[in-house]
Amino acid sequence: MGNNQILMLGWEYPPHNSGGLGVACEGLTQALADGGTEICFTLPYEHPVDIDHMHVLSCYSRFVTLPFGKNSPPFQAYSTQASGTSKINFDPKNVRSMSFSELEYKVNAYANSILDAVRQEHIASDVIHAHDWMTYPAAQYLKKKLHKPFVAHVHSTEFDRVPTGNGNPFITHVEAEGLHNADRVIAVSELTKSVLMDKYGVAEDKIDVVHNGIDVAPKIQTLQFAQDRPVIVFMGRLTMQKGAEYFLQLAKKVLTRIPNALFVVAGHGDQYSMLLLENAKQKLSSSVIFAGFLRDQQKDFLLDRADVFVMPSISEPFGLVALEAVQRETPVIISKTSGVKEVLPGAIVFDFWDTDLMAESIEKLLRDPTYYEQVVDQQLASLGEVSWKKSAEKIKEVYQRILNRRK
Amino acid sequence: MPKVSLYFELHQPYRLAPYSIFEVGRNHEYFSTKSHDSNREVFTKVALKSYIPMLSLLLNLTKQYKEFVWAFSCSGIFLEQAETYVPEVLDLLQELLRTRQVEVLAETYYHSLASLYSSQEFFQQVDLHSKKIVEFFGVKPTVFRNTELIYSDAIASLVGEMGYTGILTEAVDRYLEGQKRTQLFSSYSAKRLPLMLKHSQLSDDIAFRFSDKSWVSYPLKAETYVHWLNEYQQNEIVNLFMDFETFGEHQWGETGIFDFFQHVVHQFIQYEWNQFVTPSQAMQLTDARKLPLYKVAEPISWADIDRDLSAWRDNELQHDTLRLIYELESQVKATNDKQLLHDWRKLQTSDHFYYMCVKWSADGDVHAYFSPYENPMDAYVRFTTVLADIQSRISQYQAKPSRVRSMKSLKKRAPEFIQY
Repeated sequence: MGNNQILMLGWEYPPHNSGGLGVACEGLTQALADGGTEICFTLPYEHPVDIDHMHVLSCYSRFVTLPFGKNSPPFQAYSTQASGTSKINFDPKNVRSMSFSELEYKVNAYANSILDAVRQEHIASDVIHAHDWMTYPAAQYLKKKLHKPFVAHVHSTEFDRVPTGNGNPFITHVEAEGLHNADRVIAVSELTKSVLMDKYGVAEDKIDVVHNGIDVAPKIQTLQFAQDRPVIVFMGRLTMQKGAEYFLQLAKKVLTRIPNALFVVAGHGDQYSMLLLENAKQKLSSSVIFAGFLRDQQKDFLLDRADVFVMPSISEPFGLVALEAVQRETPVIISKTSGVKEVLPGAIVFDFWDTDLMAESIEKLLRDPTYYEQVVDQQLASLGEVSWKKSAEKIKEVYQRILNRRK
Repeated sequence: MPKVSLYFELHQPYRLAPYSIFEVGRNHEYFSTKSHDSNREVFTKVALKSYIPMLSLLLNLTKQYKEFVWAFSCSGIFLEQAETYVPEVLDLLQELLRTRQVEVLAETYYHSLASLYSSQEFFQQVDLHSKKIVEFFGVKPTVFRNTELIYSDAIASLVGEMGYTGILTEAVDRYLEGQKRTQLFSSYSAKRLPLMLKHSQLSDDIAFRFSDKSWVSYPLKAETYVHWLNEYQQNEIVNLFMDFETFGEHQWGETGIFDFFQHVVHQFIQYEWNQFVTPSQAMQLTDARKLPLYKVAEPISWADIDRDLSAWRDNELQHDTLRLIYELESQVKATNDKQLLHDWRKLQTSDHFYYMCVKWSADGDVHAYFSPYENPMDAYVRFTTVLADIQSRISQYQAKPSRVRSMKSLKKRAPEFIQY
């Protein structure tokens, strides 16, 4: 089996990432490169840091101001500007006849810049591998021009980001069009696979599930802040999808039983102001503390210090951060609607809205050291099965299958 | 041909330095970091632009005219900062007090809203302030002004209990009921106290409108202003109350505000029937029972268009942080920890709650001007993170063996215990 050359279309990459997508791209490309795959990775901005394991191609037009400027990440791709549709009736022609939106313009500008850059630098490729909807127009364009197969990798859909179903119709159409025109589709979980089948009408046999992996956690010194209080942590974008509202409800319930508990909300997003006002209204001002968006060492400090990690996402395709919490020997409570539960049989799982049961569970963990250790051990045991190397092997199989079919 | 009573307020809060969740329980330094003290920075800047030039100017005028008398008050935390950062400001104030033409008024030490939440805390802060004034200036204030001129019938009762002989506050049309603001009023409280009400029109002409180029009276000349004053009758009193920083900070020196003030004083004094009076001179020998009543059921203040409490106590962020800070009173006091008590009181300073205001109007600009934060949400987040640390400090004094502990803290402490 020869080593493949992959043209990978990205949207964000650490340190300029708004969340899981960038982290997943980093873990995945590193493991693929370790296995001999040659990757050319495109980004819609100038990447400031050298990356050894692959060739990074910065693709942005001099004539277009991208949504993020040259050096900052394209956070807007994941913001929720709800308006529109609940079930998409996909018509490939319809996408092109849509009103000319800024978003569309920018996504298309990215596609053009990639083609220019690929031609200028004579980038060879066997497969085009595109991460999430922002890169799908580019992938289809390249597929047509380069006559290469296109793999659509789904880390998140508009139905996850806007769980009411009232997502942005432009985005849902771009997603649907991309999935329709892709040769293969990779979903980050069985949960996402079912969304792709139910909501986007993708055929089951076109989808491969490849769970995310995780790197070995960097060693850090424990930071013992607030040591006299049990600390319960939420970490994620403050959008409806992530269910931070339920975290506040949960806090309120736990505090009636454990008044000295300290809840920490780490993240930013469009619900920030609303959550702060709700927090004050519920009289939680010194019990639920907002820590802002944390990265790198600060993120590790918090996950390490956490006594319990809670991820009450309404719709979470994967949920990498839960694995990072497990690595720090922190018991995690996650919602049933989280892809990560598929690789974490030891996790405590509830419905995202069931804050009564979550509160009971937190109390049991904090009052029963034996149970606490048991949960930590179970979770660490499941973690042994998860690695980026495994994910990379599965992805290489996907590449091989397409290429074999083409021969 | 009226009497004019000039009163200036000197105050600087202790602004919070950046403070993160990771410092809770580990760092109790809230108002500066090791490398940076924004309070020193602000105080020094304002001292150069306003305190020193204006106090020097006032000193010259006071020495020049025996008839030029006026009043000021300053928060205790202003005096602390002056002493630490720019002692020259204190020297000037002390020299002014020695002329015996300047009156200093009473207020709360921490420029707090305690009068609305806890009478005990309010009494203690006023008492602390009074002692500080005696220590620095050798006089005991007799007339009271509350934080931001906040006033109500209930507050008047509290001030009466403390033995003060008069109060300064705002003239609010909805409570004046058509009566002239240029007279003394009586509080509506068991012990009647004389009240002096701010003339907001003439005060704000200087404090807010002076440099406003879209104002019909711009540029305001001293002659015009004195002419406006002279329109009042001899038995009337015009109370010009404003922030001291009006001179040189809110209105920069370049606007001509210093010259303007100096000329107003010169020209006003030229008319021999005109008279400057201090609050205690204006109110002495008055029988408050013979004065018209100023009934104020709901608290008023001198802030914003509404002249109410909505700058500090309007939205949920403000309500809940105020609730929390005053709920801690008995616990903080039970610790007998002086540093903790002082820190808790510095967090009561009204400015912290002002920064959390989200009112959307012309007042928003004024709020933004005074706030060190980018938005009210950041002010709330920093304040509540610090409160979490205050709670940790309190809990160290409280024996509660049944309290749920942190599993991680228990676990990670274990090796240290084994070593011993």
